[in-house]
Amino acid sequence: MTDWTIKQERHIPEDELHAYLDQALSRSQCAEIETHLSACKLCQARRSAVAALRDRTTALLSGLAPRPVIVPPSFQDLRERQSRRLALAVWRARLQRSSLWAAGVVAAVGAGWVARTLLDPHRTTVSAPLVAQSVATPASSPIAAVPAIDSASTAEIEKQATPAPLPQRSAVVAAHNVSSARSSRALVPAPTLQLASVVTPVTRAAVEGRAPLTRPAGNDPFDRVWRVVPWEDALQIAGSELPFIEGIPVVGVMFQPGVPGERPTVIVAQQDPNGEVIQSIEGPVARVNELRTHQPSDVHASDVARTAPDYVDGPGGMHRALRILTVIGRLPVDSLNTLARLATIR
Amino acid sequence: MDDLERLYKTHYAAVVRFLYRKIWDADRAEDLAQEVFIRAMAHRPEKPRAWIFAVAANLARDEARAAIRRKKHLTLLKDDPIPLSTPEPSAEDAVDREERWARVTGALAALTERDRDVLLLWDAGLSYPEIAAQTGLAVGAVGTTLARARKRLIEAHDRLDYQARTAHS
Repeated sequence: MTDWTIKQERHIPEDELHAYLDQALSRSQCAEIETHLSACKLCQARRSAVAALRDRTTALLSGLAPRPVIVPPSFQDLRERQSRRLALAVWRARLQRSSLWAAGVVAAVGAGWVARTLLDPHRTTVSAPLVAQSVATPASSPIAAVPAIDSASTAEIEKQATPAPLPQRSAVVAAHNVSSARSSRALVPAPTLQLASVVTPVTRAAVEGRAPLTRPAGNDPFDRVWRVVPWEDALQIAGSELPFIEGIPVVGVMFQPGVPGERPTVIVAQQDPNGEVIQSIEGPVARVNELRTHQPSDVHASDVARTAPDYVDGPGGMHRALRILTVIGRLPVDSLNTLARLATIR
Repeated sequence: MDDLERLYKTHYAAVVRFLYRKIWDADRAEDLAQEVFIRAMAHRPEKPRAWIFAVAANLARDEARAAIRRKKHLTLLKDDPIPLSTPEPSAEDAVDREERWARVTGALAALTERDRDVLLLWDAGLSYPEIAAQTGLAVGAVGTTLARARKRLIEAHDRLDYQARTAHS
């Protein structure tokens, strides 16, 4: 064991006093220290000094807390986020597998054509002019404006690899039609609230040709179509996240789906006894701010309040996306602020 | 309630504090703490307490690397109109708290990285063997490191305190 217990003139080293006070020593080591302490005034004083140092450190560090009280979110919420992440990982893996499979098929078909062309010189000499001709022929038709055909390098590749370009061109046309159908779907104006003469920033924006709400922000692959739903359905869709002001009848609910992992943007319209319609808007910061700013001049907006954030998976892991709530209507801002304070999330 | 859930309830705040003292962003510290426990659900580590602090330390390190990029993002968010009115502390209180804060963070920054890590892990409630496993120190060296870290923290804090007082007078 330690020397200082045998030679009484030696004292307890300072690091062992720290370990002793931190309860990091074995029972026998503690017993030795206590025996020495009972007989050594100097070590008693040093023990007190170390205890004071330790207490001061703890006190200083305790001031470095982010909040006075840290409340953990429900464990169930964490579980749900984990299972959502697992589902996303499975989906990504499937997508990756199917992409690899598709790439493999394309490569095999391409290799087949190249091999066939190389191994059959007669076919090569015959097919090349045919292809050039067939590419040149539709140039007068409006469909021929597909940019891929204009590209010299693409044409060169097609010359070598494509014996029958016409079916491929029709496939391009079909794809073009699908994409225009898709884009026309994305440009469908957002619906209005149909149950009352509601302030509808969405309609106004759509009329002015801006239609900002129907366009996804960034490269979101999902359509963001606003939907009008009954209150009960909205409760089910949004879970417990509907902004609502107690005591005022609800006249309509609209919501716009978010990106994966993000809850929808929700507008709850309510009509007070004077006929004034107010709308509580809850959603991601950017969307709500966009709605707040695109208003007619006589429609005001309350200050915003933070609501529970979304947790969205991104390239750097899961991150928090802030959400806010605002109340808009043809009322003074002070009144809207009061209403915003009364708003509950149901 | 399983072991991990129990650990979550008892240690969540300690993990948040630990992360916060490394990255100085309260919201981000909470996000990362939740991330730690979500990862723990998938991994089911044998020694969960040591594991969560090890992962938290790694996340804090990654966070420091991404700090510049994220700082820009946070500035943008700060520009948004955020909360409804909350009671503001008096200006004197705020200044006082800020100065105290600066002294403690300054003192912590004056420690070596190893001393700071050991001190923060100890303050988060880890045992000497757990601290040793995470930092690569021998168990016997943890006490020595802690003794040095505590002494230096207090000395640095008192020095900053003295400088602030002389500056005021």
